[in-house]
Amino acid sequence: MRFLGVAGLLGFGALLELAPRVGLVPERYAPPISRIAVALAEQAQQQRFWLALSDTLRTWIIGLGIAVAAGVVLGVVIGATPLLRAATASTIEFLRPIPSVALIPLAVLLYGASRSGTLVLVVYASFWQVLVQVLHGVADVDPVARETAHAYRLGRWARVRYLVWPTALPYAVTGVRLAASVALILAITGELVIGSPGLGREIAIAQSSGAVPVMYALVLVTGLVGVAANVVTRAAERRVLAWHPSVRGEVPV
Amino acid sequence: MRRQLAALLSGTALLVAAAAGCSDGGGTGGGDSQPGQPDQVTVGVIPILDVAPIYLGKQQGFFSDRNIELTLTPAQGGAAIVPAVVSGQYQFGFSNVISLLLAQSQGLPLKVVSNGNNSTGVDGEDFAALMVKADSPIQSPKDLVGKTVAANTLKNIVETSVRASVRKDGGDPAAVKFTELPFPEQPAALEAGRVDAVFVVEPFQQAVLAQGGRKIASSYVDTAPNLAVALYFTSQQQIDRNPDLVRRFTEAMQESLAYADAHPDEARAIIATYTQIAPEVIAKLTLPKWPADVNRESVQTLADLATEDGLLTKPADVAALLP
Amino acid sequence: MTVALRRLALVVTLPAALLAVWWFASMNSTDFYRPPLSRILVAFRETWIGPRFVDDVLPSMARLAIGYAGALVLGVALGTAIGLSRPLRAALEPVLEFLRAVPPPVLVPILILIAGIGSTMKVLVIVSGCLWPILLNTVEGVRGVDGVLADTCRSYRIRGAGRLWHLVLRSASPQIVTGARQALSIGIILMVISEMFAASSGLGFTIVQFQRGFAIPEMWSGVLLLGLLGVLLSLAFRGVEHRVLGWYHGLRAAARER
Repeated sequence: MRFLGVAGLLGFGALLELAPRVGLVPERYAPPISRIAVALAEQAQQQRFWLALSDTLRTWIIGLGIAVAAGVVLGVVIGATPLLRAATASTIEFLRPIPSVALIPLAVLLYGASRSGTLVLVVYASFWQVLVQVLHGVADVDPVARETAHAYRLGRWARVRYLVWPTALPYAVTGVRLAASVALILAITGELVIGSPGLGREIAIAQSSGAVPVMYALVLVTGLVGVAANVVTRAAERRVLAWHPSVRGEVPV
Repeated sequence: MRRQLAALLSGTALLVAAAAGCSDGGGTGGGDSQPGQPDQVTVGVIPILDVAPIYLGKQQGFFSDRNIELTLTPAQGGAAIVPAVVSGQYQFGFSNVISLLLAQSQGLPLKVVSNGNNSTGVDGEDFAALMVKADSPIQSPKDLVGKTVAANTLKNIVETSVRASVRKDGGDPAAVKFTELPFPEQPAALEAGRVDAVFVVEPFQQAVLAQGGRKIASSYVDTAPNLAVALYFTSQQQIDRNPDLVRRFTEAMQESLAYADAHPDEARAIIATYTQIAPEVIAKLTLPKWPADVNRESVQTLADLATEDGLLTKPADVAALLP
Repeated sequence: MTVALRRLALVVTLPAALLAVWWFASMNSTDFYRPPLSRILVAFRETWIGPRFVDDVLPSMARLAIGYAGALVLGVALGTAIGLSRPLRAALEPVLEFLRAVPPPVLVPILILIAGIGSTMKVLVIVSGCLWPILLNTVEGVRGVDGVLADTCRSYRIRGAGRLWHLVLRSASPQIVTGARQALSIGIILMVISEMFAASSGLGFTIVQFQRGFAIPEMWSGVLLLGLLGVLLSLAFRGVEHRVLGWYHGLRAAARER
């Protein structure tokens, strides 16, 4: 099965190599992957490439960390109190669908083209992913277990620790996985559009320099980073949830 | 199990806080000097060849000689730089003249401190040109009436200049259609026939030439002699807060501009450091002119043309904007 | 009566409080980029209620609708095919994960090359972004078909289109709806992004032009409109979801209550 995966990738690579050569796309502006790979090798020798990559990764991890911490804490607090939950439902439903691109002007105003501007975008978009999932997790507590906890007179803190948290954890982890991919995409988008330091900005500079193979090489790198991030989060998910018995799907919203 | 999780979470939170605390990607230049310390100055620039002088000046030490520690932050355009200068994130910024006129007419407290770059003033040999495909039936600007021209930003200097070319050639400037397309996509769009003409700057002028395109006008030259295309500016608050820093920055800029104008080879070399333009393209680029003083008449001409074309709905006070 | 009143209070209190805070905090603002809320609301009325609504907002919404529908159809079709076939899934999964990770603004130049600069390109941008949540969720949903149900179908000899519709798609529909929900938010974002680059009309285009022309209250009013649009679409989606997944919600509620 893994062999098939590799075969799929190779097939895709062949498509990318042939399409420009055959004329499906203009070769000058969509170079074959061999030329892109050469440009990538050249980039990998430059320090600014590695600096940009580490900038993007840092923005991603910091933004994800803040979003997850805030999402989990707020999700548990709001979810555990029915009154709070009802009072905030409308606000959450209003703020959640606001597209993060709408925040770009605000981010630029507050932070210019520094990392913090992109962090605003990343945290905003990822936070909702985590929050909504945690809220659902907290709401999904098994009623029998809840009544048992009540019968044993478990205090609020003990209830959160033994009842709410294990139920919410799978949902939270799904939320983190979703948030991770959103965070990466927004980190690069922010760097591209605002100009914060990172891979996105290097892509923009390559574009404005007319250096087409370099631009595609950087795009290739962003795709690979996304794949790697996904693999890492899935591995972490498997470890953290090794104890969870059933097949966890993504929760319908 | 739970204890491990708690440890993991708190560890992550600590790590995040620590990282957030000590990381901050640029833009923190305060502009307030500590006694004995050089002034930290951040300038928002666009990573194009126009800003070669400031990079060259930094390399040559013109800024550090005047006690200015310069950080150059590439941004995507005036739309990102102007708010950052107004809010104090950057002490100075680089922007084209029309954007500055627009901002000023809307009441933003901006002030130009130094020249940025000018057209070469030589028709057919400018760093920007109005270009068409090799086999295009369009021979001169007045043939553009009713056709579509690609502009990297609408309602800005490209529209004004192209309309000036059309007007000069005897056509109706209001009858030209513009569509917004970023510079990098313009050569391919021209080749594929999606637009009838493009107005591009270097290095895309080289790209269009390489695919066989030809120039039909040098619109910057048609607009005004030795047109000032872009300028360095700051906010009124910055001037009020530290007029001495602004004066020193202006002097350093003038020195850098004169140096870059006199040493084009070094300018080409520095362009390679902050852009990704291929070396063979850099060698062929037509460089802009970098006079040390602002061409005030051309800025007034642009303001008048912009008002005539309907870009400026409120009049701009050129005298208040310029130093 | 009091129950209804209490519910209304819960829905309205926090948003009203936040709006009030914003109003009073910005009332005397002279910051060019953070105008008072009152000015933004005035700009909202002047800008969006009128011909601009028809000229800019409606075409953008139409493109969003077409792109979203296209992504739904393509995503469900491809997802079902991939989900049902293990070898196909194994072969395509790395490629799909890779494509998914490329940020949309980076794809725009490539799409401009392929599809030009008109409405087709914008619709393609929306499809290219909305496709992924729908596709990946459909694959997961199709994979997770209950074994008992599958065996029941087999013993009743339900095959082909009937099996596809009644067993596979219906079991996968909660997952598909989740994906569709995520795709909706992504679609709005992409609608704006697709108009940032090569456009001459549209909602996103107008907001960006306001920003470039330093018409800041109008820009904020556009941002508000985007938020409102998001909320309205999300409410509409909820309505549709209740109808389509009514059976599922009922089932889960019954299981929870026991």
